[in-house]
Formats: sequence, C-alpha cells, structure tokens
Amino acid sequence: MNHSLLDEHALASPLRHKNNRLKLGLVGAALLVGVSSPSPVAPLFIALSMSFAAIRLGKVPARFYAGLVAAPLGFAVLGAAIILFFFGSGPEIFSLELFGLRIGASADGAEMAVLVVSRTLSGMSCLLFLALSTPMVELFALLKALRLPDSFVELSMMIYRYIFVLLEVVVRMREAQAMRLGYDGFKNSIQSISMMAGTLFIRTMEQGERLFTAMDARCYDGKLFLFEERRPVKIQELLVASGYVAFISALAYFSRGSAIF
Amino acid sequence: MEGFLPHPWWEIWYALSLPVVVYGIYTMNRLVKERRETLPLLALAGAFIFVLSSLKLPSVTGSCSHPTGAGMGAILFGPAITAVLCLIVLVYQALFLAHGGITTLGANVFSMGIAGPAVAYIVYKGCAKSNLNFYVSIFLAVSLADIATYLVTSLQLALAFPSATGGVLGSLYAFGTVFAFTQVPLAVLEGVFIALIFKYVIQVKGEVMVKLKVIDEKKLRRLKGVVQA
Repeated sequence: MNHSLLDEHALASPLRHKNNRLKLGLVGAALLVGVSSPSPVAPLFIALSMSFAAIRLGKVPARFYAGLVAAPLGFAVLGAAIILFFFGSGPEIFSLELFGLRIGASADGAEMAVLVVSRTLSGMSCLLFLALSTPMVELFALLKALRLPDSFVELSMMIYRYIFVLLEVVVRMREAQAMRLGYDGFKNSIQSISMMAGTLFIRTMEQGERLFTAMDARCYDGKLFLFEERRPVKIQELLVASGYVAFISALAYFSRGSAIF
Repeated sequence: MEGFLPHPWWEIWYALSLPVVVYGIYTMNRLVKERRETLPLLALAGAFIFVLSSLKLPSVTGSCSHPTGAGMGAILFGPAITAVLCLIVLVYQALFLAHGGITTLGANVFSMGIAGPAVAYIVYKGCAKSNLNFYVSIFLAVSLADIATYLVTSLQLALAFPSATGGVLGSLYAFGTVFAFTQVPLAVLEGVFIALIFKYVIQVKGEVMVKLKVIDEKKLRRLKGVVQA
C-alpha cells in the first residue's frame, strides 16, 4: 500500500522546526506568482528553487522526489499536447499526419503548452515543499487561527487521524486476501476488493460509534483545544523569504514579453 | 493538477464552489447540533472516502485506476455534506499524495465534490422512485456521477483553453475524447465496485444502512430475501 505518504517525510524534515506561518506565506506567494506569470521563465525558476530547497534543506531523497513529480507531470503533458494542437493561431511550426488527418501546431499553441507545463511544475514544487516540510498536525492550529468554523477543523482533524487507522486495516485485509489467492485474475480481484471495502465500511461505522462513546465519556462538546508551539521567526529567515518573493515577482514582471517560438 | 488552470479560471471555480461548501458546513452544523453522534461518524466517512480513493482498482488494460468514492458519499449522506467531505479529502490528497493542488482545488471540488455527487443523488433518488433494482440503481448513480465529473473536468479545461478553430466546443471535444479512453471504463468499474460493496454490507450488516436512512426496514428484508434465495 501507500507507505510513501508525504506526512512521514514532513515529520522528519529539518525544516519542520521553522515557523509555520512563514512557510505557508512563502509557498502561497510563490504559488500565486507561478500561476499568474505570463511567461514560463518565472515558473521554471520557482520549480527549480523549490525543488532544490526541498531536496537540499529538507533532506528529501532526490529519487523519491523525482517519482513524486513524475506521476502528475504525465497528466499535465497529455493536457498540454491537446493545447498544443488545438489552441491559438499564428504561424504553423510543424504538423503531422495521424490516421489520415493532418493536425498542425501553431506558435501560439506551443507557447501556451510550454507555459502550462511550467506553471504545473512550479505549482507542484511549491505544494511538495509545503507538504514535505510541514506536518498536517501543525496546520490545524493555523486553520483555527484563520477562523475557519470549529466543526470544519474538528472534522478535518478526525479525518486525518482515521485515515491512518483505516489504512492499517486495509493493508492487513489485503495481505490476508492475497495470501488466499484473492487477487488471482480480474474477476477474483473485483470480488475481493469489493468485499474488502465493504468490510472496511462496516468497521468504519462501528469505529465511529466507539469514537463517539469515548469522546462523550470525556465530556466532548464540539471543541478540541490545540497546542501551537511558538517558533519565533528569525530576522534572517524573514529577509530571505521576502527577498525570494520580491525576486520571483520581479522575474515574472520583467520576463512577461519573452517568447520562445 | 496544480497550476494547470490559468488566471481568471481558477478563481472563478473557487467562487462557484464556495457557496456550496458554505451551505454544506451549515447543514453539517445543524445536523451535529441535533444529533451529536454524527460528527465522529462523518469523520470516519471522510477517512473512508480518502482510503477508498487511494485504493487501486484492478483494470482490464493492466493500468490501475483510482475510484473517487464521492458517489457513495452522496448516496449515504446527501450531496451538501459530501461536498464538505470531498473538500477535506482533496486537500489531504494534495498534501499527502501530491494529487490535485491548491490553486485547482476550487475546480476539483466543483467537478468531484459537487457535480458528481449531485448527479449521483438525483439518479439514485430517481431510480428509487421508479422501483428499479436497488443494486442497479447504485451502479447507475455511481457510474453516471463519474461520467459527470469527467465531463465537467473536460469543460473546465475547454473553457480555459478554447480551440482556435472550434472555440470552446472544439476543445471540449478534444479533451473529452482523450479522457474518454480511461474515464468511461473506470466509471463502469467503479459502479460495479460500489454496488458490490453495498451488496456485501447489506448481507452482513444491513442495519447500518437502515440507521443511515439509505433504505428502510422493509426494503432491507426484501433485499436480504432476494440475496439469500
């Protein structure tokens, strides 16, 4: 199963002990700059710098990181290919025959396709930087500070907790089924996986009742209190972060007219 | 996909999803005040949707695919609450598995958490009225919800990247055909998968479904009778 949950890496990351608001602000700003930049220069720079930060400062294994980027990138490239052939006008740069149909790519289309892939790369690297440096537990206090409704935050916290409990149950059931040749052939696989999910659902409901009893016994009234560790921001960190944001904004602004094709 | 949707569009989808999510939270708050035991139950349901969507379904072509689980949520809890659950699940998918993203969250919530569950709910209620077989109606609701999700996603992409010659419709057609190869078989597969889950749960512990008001006592007895015969 999925033991490569990013949260485990976040818990081990040296960047975990930096101020959460600073990290969130930095990632938010970089995300916005990346998605609104009109040329691929700034997004590509953000992608490179964020990946570098995650691998070097965050001590994430490079191979693991590459695997994380590769999977969603496949989808992005597929989408970009469609944009390449259908979007925009302008001089045709190349064309090819496909099943007797001639399809051509215009300069505009190519420009747009490159831009979309670069934006996706930049957004993904920002997200990965946050996910690999900030454990979810620490974000809950932040969510409360942002004045999101209590019930919403509580629900998120409980879901978070039970994802791990249920995943463990799934792994155990799956292994038990696989040992009894439950995943031999397509029909058996569908039978087994449905049976497993059905059992999981029943377990889930029973667990939900037990959780309510346990919480009720401890006088739960719809509010859990959270502890947020104080981690003052060092002035150098603040300077580096704001310098970085200023730099990528300037980069996006000054490279706005550049074109490759 | 993070960063895939350009400037005006990702904000627009956020704006469209927000009122539904707010309404969902409002409904949820009311339900929780009425019956306090629902919050833990909803939490478990959310975790269940996450785990379900991280399962790999066996696929004929050899590749694997992930079910969305949102259709099941809509049948069990109604579409408004499912939207809230989907929002949380999508954020976790972004942060744990690097699926989806933050700027595209609005669009994803709209296609997977709102459009899909709404279709599932309408189809399921419609089938229940017309007295169709229970499992067939679940299959239809879940499959059509998946197809609705995939069509809305194609529409979102087409609106953001209209084609030069055919406009929005032209690129809707292009995105639609490319995704159809994987999404239509997946929709059928998920329909079978969820229908089998319901069958199994009703056989083993049908009371749960009665408690969630998915079916009533009479229907449960009938379904069990059909299964055992």
